[in-house]
Amino acid sequence: MSAASTPRRRPLLSSRRLATIASHAYIWLCLILFVLPFLALLSQSLGQRGGASGLGNYAAVFGSFGDNLFWSFKITGLTLLIDLAACLPAAYALVRYPVPGKRLLFSLLQLPLYVPGAVIGLSLLLTYTFVYKIDSMWGLVLAMAVGSFPLMMTPIVVAMKDLPVMFEEASECLGATKWQTYRRIVFPLIGPGVSAGLLLCFIIVFNEYLVTLFVHPPALETAPLKVFNLVRTNGLAPTTAALAVTMQLISFLAVIVFFRIFGTRHFKGTYIL
Amino acid sequence: MTTVHLSNVTKHYGSTVAVQDFNLEVADGEFVTLLGPSGCGKTTTLRMLAGLVEPTGGRILFDDQEVTWLAPRARNIGFVFQAPALFPHMSVADNIGFGLSVKGRDKAFIRQRVDEMLDLVDLEGYGKRLPAQLSGGQQQRVALARVLATDPRVLLFDEPLSALDKNLRDTLKYSILELQRKTRKTAIYVTHDQSEAFAISDRIVVMNAGRIEQIGTQTDIYLKPRTPFVAEFIGANNGLNGTVVAVDGSGDDAVVRVDTGGLLLRRRGRTRLTPGQAVLAYIRPEDLSVLEDGDGRVHLNTIEGTIDRLIFEGASAQLRVEVAGVEMRADISGGQRLALVQREGRVRLGFDDVTLIPSEAEAGTAVVTDGVPDEAGPAA
Repeated sequence: MSAASTPRRRPLLSSRRLATIASHAYIWLCLILFVLPFLALLSQSLGQRGGASGLGNYAAVFGSFGDNLFWSFKITGLTLLIDLAACLPAAYALVRYPVPGKRLLFSLLQLPLYVPGAVIGLSLLLTYTFVYKIDSMWGLVLAMAVGSFPLMMTPIVVAMKDLPVMFEEASECLGATKWQTYRRIVFPLIGPGVSAGLLLCFIIVFNEYLVTLFVHPPALETAPLKVFNLVRTNGLAPTTAALAVTMQLISFLAVIVFFRIFGTRHFKGTYIL
Repeated sequence: MTTVHLSNVTKHYGSTVAVQDFNLEVADGEFVTLLGPSGCGKTTTLRMLAGLVEPTGGRILFDDQEVTWLAPRARNIGFVFQAPALFPHMSVADNIGFGLSVKGRDKAFIRQRVDEMLDLVDLEGYGKRLPAQLSGGQQQRVALARVLATDPRVLLFDEPLSALDKNLRDTLKYSILELQRKTRKTAIYVTHDQSEAFAISDRIVVMNAGRIEQIGTQTDIYLKPRTPFVAEFIGANNGLNGTVVAVDGSGDDAVVRVDTGGLLLRRRGRTRLTPGQAVLAYIRPEDLSVLEDGDGRVHLNTIEGTIDRLIFEGASAQLRVEVAGVEMRADISGGQRLALVQREGRVRLGFDDVTLIPSEAEAGTAVVTDGVPDEAGPAA
């Protein structure tokens, strides 16, 4: 057998293998960077200070912090409803009708995304104090809705734009009214946009403390505000860390639940053209 | 049973004219096709019939009912789109039953009607599937079943086969025709595909630049084009500019002689052309035959030219011949096409039919082609 026909041995460190190792390393590095703060918080939440320790810290979350979590859920839920009620018709109108200055209008509607939370909080505080004197939970809910509705609006507008108008035309030619068409055809088909909007808004509103700090009524303290206040006055107590971890888990669960519910039904590229 | 009547229907988008003074009567149960190149206004016309586009002017009537300003849902039409447009989140059965369900029909009736429709389009047992689980042809059949389920007055088709491959197009176009015949619905069909239009229509409306060029049966449009556009758009045609030099005789035996700058063409039959008139002369490639020496056939016209090339296409062959500085195309079929493969040099071509259209003939004007009188437009 000649030397030329002997297969060459694969080098131990080929450029391709090096690239594979590097990309794996990069992914792990990113993961560690993202997860590390959460792990630190988790370990802090299991620490000992005062009476309780370990999982005992979590008893406080559902005991003394229960009210704060309840308010957070209530404020978030109401905000989502208001956002949805405002954005569904607005997105439909923006995409389907020739609104003059559409682009400018859409850019203006995005404004709350670019304005710092403190600025929104301050301006809303001024508005509420001097104009409306709203001193109830609704002031906070409306403040949250103002700050978060672009997050609901954008994915719904994108989904509407992606939805061929042909489906609506087919429905109307088959005898459906505008409302029947919207309820039975448009709404289910923009599902991915709606669920993405709900998810984004939930996470942002549930964890928001800066705007809350400005406009919350004295008797109402949401969970993130509680964490902020406790850390400011008390330092990072294990019970506070436990509340923070719980909030993080709730957000994480929300992501999983949303993707389980809407992902299987709507994210599979349902349009056939 | 419905007749459709469009009178002076016009659509302008700003200064752009999409459709201008469209007049058409469609008889009950008739299958009419709007044929034309893209951008000629055929789809806009169909969408105005459906109520998806509001006309700028004119009237649309279904029987005696004016529907010009009615919403699509109030017209009771069946619109089949270019894409099947099946609702992707609903099963085939729910898609077919949609039109009945939005009108509040009871569930048992809908179920029975859906089964009937699935049976009609040969898709029994497919009711539970999602549209994504069907092939393109099956989806378009479901789309047909969906519009037929509501028992519409008029069927409107917007190039329903253009997204499908050729074999499927061929089978489906006959399915559409068969369903229309079976249900005896008035149908208006839009396409840019001549063979599709010729295969399924009772009458064809040729459109160009928002206007009707000609309305007629397949043979009318093919054999007696009324405008240069129709002559050039339908089938292949050899077109020559010329001038009438003389009209000999009268009545059915009149012979018009036309000089096309080097060629002298003759055409027999009734005419209203006068000497000196500028005309466009069209000769169909299949009307040209190659004359061999000692050929007994006598043709009204004989021309001679040099063979440029022969394109062998299997069943037929295209012979390109240069005659008096103009390239003419002759379609040769049968054994002669094989004999021509090796042929070079001069060749004689004979033909009888020439279509003469006055050069000023334009769409929308009442120009009568110089042809044999027919019901659509009597010649002099």
